[in-house]
Amino acid sequence: MTKDVIVCRCEGTTLEEIATIAAEYQCSAREVKLRTRAGMGYCGGRTCRGFIDYIVSHHSNHQELTLHHRPPVRPIPFALFREVNDE
Amino acid sequence: MVDLLIIGAGPAGLAASIEAASRNLSVTIIDEFTTPGGRLLGQLHEEEKDVWWNGVEEAHTLHEKAQENGVELLLETSVYKIQQEDVYWSTHTSAGIYHSKALLIATGATEQSLPLPGWTLPGVMSIGAAQVMTNVRHVKPGEKGIIIGLNALSFAISRELRLCNIDLEGFFLPPDHFLTTDQAKPLSVLNNLMTLSHLAPMNWMRLGGKIANNNRWIQKQTLSFYPKRGINIWQTPVHVRKAVTSINGSTQVESVTVVDLRADGTMIEGSEENLEVDFVCISGGLAPLTELIGLTDLKLIAIESLGGYVPVHFEDMRTEVTDLYVAGNITGIESAKVARAQGVVAGISACIHSFNLRNDDALEIAMEKVRKERAEAKLQFHPEIEKGRTLLYSEKGEVQYG
Ligand SMILES: Cc1cc2nc3c(=O)[nH]c(=O)nc-3n(C[C@H](O)[C@H](O)[C@H](O)COP(=O)(O)OP(=O)(O)OC[C@H]3O[C@@H](n4cnc5c(N)ncnc54)[C@H](O)[C@@H]3O)c2cc1C
Repeated sequence: MTKDVIVCRCEGTTLEEIATIAAEYQCSAREVKLRTRAGMGYCGGRTCRGFIDYIVSHHSNHQELTLHHRPPVRPIPFALFREVNDE
Repeated sequence: MVDLLIIGAGPAGLAASIEAASRNLSVTIIDEFTTPGGRLLGQLHEEEKDVWWNGVEEAHTLHEKAQENGVELLLETSVYKIQQEDVYWSTHTSAGIYHSKALLIATGATEQSLPLPGWTLPGVMSIGAAQVMTNVRHVKPGEKGIIIGLNALSFAISRELRLCNIDLEGFFLPPDHFLTTDQAKPLSVLNNLMTLSHLAPMNWMRLGGKIANNNRWIQKQTLSFYPKRGINIWQTPVHVRKAVTSINGSTQVESVTVVDLRADGTMIEGSEENLEVDFVCISGGLAPLTELIGLTDLKLIAIESLGGYVPVHFEDMRTEVTDLYVAGNITGIESAKVARAQGVVAGISACIHSFNLRNDDALEIAMEKVRKERAEAKLQFHPEIEKGRTLLYSEKGEVQYG
């Protein structure tokens, strides 16, 4: 079943892929995202973010809670993106 | 630069704006939806016999009052970043940057999902999306649907769909896997349903709840004798021993595969059957929408009865961050009336704590009103909500997360 359960809808990443990577690398949710692209799609992880954190916290010993968000918290046009990065 | 900027025009944000503006603050509300009211816009339920809660009317009333008091409302505008500068807040939106001395975040709740094979097919939606399509957009989500997930929210919305003559196959459990946990276990689902026994039409549950509370033997018996065709709630069959294992279709939803479960939740081999439906509603519960809080230094604390992580705050809706306030479902999942009452508190509180308004008894009265609405709430999302609030607002709670 876990093979057929897509967790990140934007990138099509499955429960099995995320759990496997978390277990293999014993890494943070952020690293799992970078390795699998889960949560990195168009919506910015709005649907799956909590799931990814949950899967990683149970399959990896890495003790870091990623409750911090980074702007932008909504998809925005590139013109606005420049301004976000002008800090 | 305005005095108070509010993110979210739901019952909490609108109520807060009225209080603050009527005390002479300049107030702007920003919301990304096309219409003010937030989740009120989809709500229609019968609180007592023949007494209806009509969210659209409520939204209209609040919006009018806000306008009368000179509140400025910016719609179809998304906030994607907030930042505290020296003495003011900047709020970055799709329509530019706004500055304010005080900031109130009233972004409400977000729905939780229950992933399962086929849930990415067109025709699968969250239960809240079905509510918006039906009650806000007046579009029928399909000819025949099925609901996955049994909870206060899916029951309330099923009734609204029924009132629009939408055909529903029934309520089913999600498949049991790592991410569906308790929501896929017949016994915990049944227990949870019993705690919803305050919902008027579910007499059998109220009875069952009284007898069965904390008695596992009776609970198991109830499960063993649970009728195969389900028990109807507002004309929709509720199945606590059937799960949907996949949603099927080539380019859109055509059917679901359901399987019978034993009382312990294991599948009965060979019981699979396909049910024809053209839409599927998934209801995994609600959680506070805290993404903007995650951009600030404010701490989040996990309290299950409040729906997950909530920003640490005081009962008067102040936070430990100067000039930052929260109100409504972002502080915990509760009904619209509670959110509205919390908004009143936040509006008054901002006047007192950020603008030196004299602290008369208005604030205490408003806080008392929140407690009253909470105690009398007809729609409760978690049976232990009061406990969660006490933990958060008591000295003890502060020590725990401080
Ligand atoms: C699907 C669903 C169904 C519900 N059904 C019921 C029900 O039937 N009865 C009931 O009593 N309660 C229901 N609730 C609970 C509901 O949350 C409360 O009733 C109440 O609406 C909460 O009020 P609020 O002001 O806190 O948030 P909301 O009413 O949710 O308003 C929040 C507003 O903030 C806006 N917003 C959020 N983030 C941003 C951003 N970044 N930029 C701009 N705007 C933003 C949203 O567009 C929204 O209009 C439901 C909740 C959901 C999610």
